[in-house]
Amino acid sequence: MIDEKVINEFSQIVGARGLLNENLDLFTYSYDASFLPLLPAAKPDLVLKPQSTQEVAAIMKLAHKYRIPVVARGLGTGRTGGSVPAEGGLVLCLDEMNQILELDDQNLMLTVEPGVKTQDIYQFCAERGLFYPPDPSSLKQSTIGGNIAENAGGPRAVKYGVTGDYVMGLEVVLADGSVLQTGGKMIKNVTGYDLTRLFVGSEGTLGIITRAILRLIPMPKIRRTAQALFDSLDGACAAVSRSIKSGAIPAAAELMDQISIEAVAKFRNIELDPRVKAGVIFEFDGDSEAGLDAQIGEAERLCAECGSVQFRIAKTKEEEDELWSLRRGMSSAIAALAANRIAEDISVPRAALPEIVKRLREIAARYGLQLAVFGHAGDGNLHPSLLADLNAPGEKEKVEQAVGEIFQAALAVGGTLSGEHGIGLTKKDYLADALGETGMAAIRSIKKALDPAGILNPGKIF
Amino acid sequence: MCVNKTEKMSLAKIQAIVNQCDRCGACLTVCPVYDVAHREAAVARGRLATVRAMAEGGLTPDSKMAEAFEFCLLCKACTENCPSKVKTDEAMIEARQYMAVKLGRRAKHRLLAGFLGNNVLIKLAAGTLKLSKKTGLGGLLRCVVPLEHTKAGYREMAAGPAAFPALSNIPHPERPHPGKIAYFQGCAMKMFFPAAAQATVKLLSRTAEVTIPESACCGMPHLAHGMADQAQALAKKNIEAFADADRIITDCASCGSSLKEYGHRLAADPQWAARAQEFSSKVMGLSEYLYDVGYQPKQKNALRVTYHDPCHLVRGQGIKKQPRDLLQRAAEYVEMPRADKCCGGAGTFYLDFPEASRKILSEKVKNIESTDADVVVTECPACLMQLAKGEQQSGRFKAMHISQVL
Ligand SMILES: Cc1cc2nc3c(=O)[nH]c(=O)nc-3n(C[C@H](O)[C@H](O)[C@H](O)COP(=O)(O)OP(=O)(O)OC[C@H]3O[C@@H](n4cnc5c(N)ncnc54)[C@H](O)[C@@H]3O)c2cc1C
Ligand code: SF4
Ligand code: SF4
Repeated sequence: MIDEKVINEFSQIVGARGLLNENLDLFTYSYDASFLPLLPAAKPDLVLKPQSTQEVAAIMKLAHKYRIPVVARGLGTGRTGGSVPAEGGLVLCLDEMNQILELDDQNLMLTVEPGVKTQDIYQFCAERGLFYPPDPSSLKQSTIGGNIAENAGGPRAVKYGVTGDYVMGLEVVLADGSVLQTGGKMIKNVTGYDLTRLFVGSEGTLGIITRAILRLIPMPKIRRTAQALFDSLDGACAAVSRSIKSGAIPAAAELMDQISIEAVAKFRNIELDPRVKAGVIFEFDGDSEAGLDAQIGEAERLCAECGSVQFRIAKTKEEEDELWSLRRGMSSAIAALAANRIAEDISVPRAALPEIVKRLREIAARYGLQLAVFGHAGDGNLHPSLLADLNAPGEKEKVEQAVGEIFQAALAVGGTLSGEHGIGLTKKDYLADALGETGMAAIRSIKKALDPAGILNPGKIF
Repeated sequence: MCVNKTEKMSLAKIQAIVNQCDRCGACLTVCPVYDVAHREAAVARGRLATVRAMAEGGLTPDSKMAEAFEFCLLCKACTENCPSKVKTDEAMIEARQYMAVKLGRRAKHRLLAGFLGNNVLIKLAAGTLKLSKKTGLGGLLRCVVPLEHTKAGYREMAAGPAAFPALSNIPHPERPHPGKIAYFQGCAMKMFFPAAAQATVKLLSRTAEVTIPESACCGMPHLAHGMADQAQALAKKNIEAFADADRIITDCASCGSSLKEYGHRLAADPQWAARAQEFSSKVMGLSEYLYDVGYQPKQKNALRVTYHDPCHLVRGQGIKKQPRDLLQRAAEYVEMPRADKCCGGAGTFYLDFPEASRKILSEKVKNIESTDADVVVTECPACLMQLAKGEQQSGRFKAMHISQVL
């Protein structure tokens, strides 16, 4: 509970408009898009919607003075409970700081506030022939602040990298309310520690991002989409690896296993060739038709060598949309197969893909659970989805154990717990396994140095 | 005991819907209410989470929650954009019903629903357009009575004052529809847009033999405000009144989607299920029907018209192409940006939340103005009332029912 007097002080900063403390409002800022149960609700004591860095700084000063937990929030689409106020306190909702501040088209840099939706950044750039590549599937409804705090990535990571690869500088309000500027518009920078990188993926535990400088590149002139279906999952993985090695680097290569494809086929009433055991959706981009033809030709040849039973190039925009909508509809189609879907987000070296999928299958079989695997084959980031009915007796425990084993398997093949969704609350228990004692000690001392009072997103990551 | 049982059923029904939401947040990008309110409690994800927590015992029903459930346009924009196609509008209707039983109904809605359930009062209101003080609705509705344009007025606009006298309305000799069609005149068409209703009848009579049975309210307002029993009683009245018709045509989008749901609404009632099903299968919206029978307007004029999609037509019934196609046959058609975004009228929403409603309307007005259209056309009296307000605000266009333009 926050004292009435203190609430008044906060209200002086943001005004009545920027402060929510009705019970219903507090409840609706208690969850995010993770599968954490809604109840018991982790309600904040107060929700604040600042409109400027100054307001954020003033809020942090007060919160620091009274030792009130502060949880940054974009649009609450995180999948690991990052913006859930697990220990109460303030939810600092940054969705109204949503201005694109400056386009520097000499240096190809864009300066934005944290609440801008990723799609709006993409669109703004695209209209000017520029390209902001990071493309988490949630780009329409997630904020750039949340993307930076989770180092979000998407299908295009294989060729273009993830959010962090485009963050050149940040403005961050620290735990005590002081305002830090990191990085800048220069490409090279070895002046002290790389603090920009430190805040990328920090999940709101080190500071509140209030401004970001993003690097842009020219928009590729043309794109083409193709779908390849394979008679084995190994073949599909090999085709992607060989394609990259050959220089025909796809802008995206999305892998779907048999269960995932069947789920979509069922959802959409499509007949499926019984030989199909895996599929890949490729996107290629470039600046000339001839160049693209060559890339796609090479990919088609390599796919055939790896046992593709079909290779379909989208001829029109509609066909392209159709192929992508298959991929985008995958989560829902899989979710429709069972009462609950528990989707993980492991990331492994690309070469370990066939091995990890084999191990995942074994785990699922051992626990008698259905498992669908899909993800970003190009970069080794997979979303194994366990299908279960968590209300059935014993099922919850089974799922928990299976998830634990999935993480172990990822680590065993040289991978890690999360490719893009972060650790948040849901993966905390496994962190020590991934980082080791020294790793844990190192991140703890960083946290202590920047947030000695422990008020920034307490209870997250570790 | 009895209340408990219905309560449980209602909760089970709600839970079946709300549990499908995985909180992905895709609805945040399309919900017109969230657009202006910027609060999680005012978007599908927040509403569904609230209902779910309530059903699971984590939130105690209170007036704030009831208000949050009312603060929804039932426009289905969220459902259309939702990967799991969660029917938030249905969940809200159920939740309102549940809250009404728990907390009692808002007096205003009770009054309105009672009024709409009473044909004598509606006629009285329609006849004089001065709402009887006795109904107690005078104050409530006074501010909403819109100005109505007539078809003759439209022709004048199209041709200019020096034009030939209006063409006489001789019904077409060849009527493309062989059967007997019945016009379902909804309450709002009766009360507020009698001229448009007349234009509908004229249009229809060019295509078939038309009857106008005595209709009761379609029941939508009752359902939307937690009076499901009354909605069912009204449905039964209508099923009886329209038993003879081969087709039932309505020029109100909300009535249309409500009437098409009778089959669903009465499915659990063995005495009525089959009749309700049959009734619903005969219902068509005006443009849906005209398109179906290949209606050709007698002339094409040079006015610029644009079209606003009523939520209950475009998402409620999947009718999108038909009105546009017909308008292209009748005038110069221009599409406005986000034509299918709710105008903010939405039944009684504009009475309950005037501020939000006005903001939503402002965006609609901007979009209409950007087309430079002379006339914005729609096929729902609720939208037309809202757009008429937009017309007053803007002064750059007229708002008309599609029946007055074809
Ligand atoms: C359907 C769906 C698909 C998704 N697909 C992808 C995907 O393909 N790739 C991917 O990487 N992720 C994906 N996600 C996860 C999620 O969208 C991302 O993590 C996203 O970056 C979260 O953004 P947000 O604005 O919703 O942040 P929130 O969920 O509100 O917050 C996420 C974390 O960031 C912190 N935070 C937010 N803003 C700030 C700030 N300004 N300063 C400091 N900390 C802050 C919060 O404290 C929290 O820890 C998906 C989610 C959904 C629902
Ligand atoms: S889009 Fe659908 S599933 Fe996603 S949060 Fe909204 S209602 Fe829930
Ligand atoms: S029905 Fe319309 S107003 Fe209601 S939650 Fe969905 S999008 Fe928002």
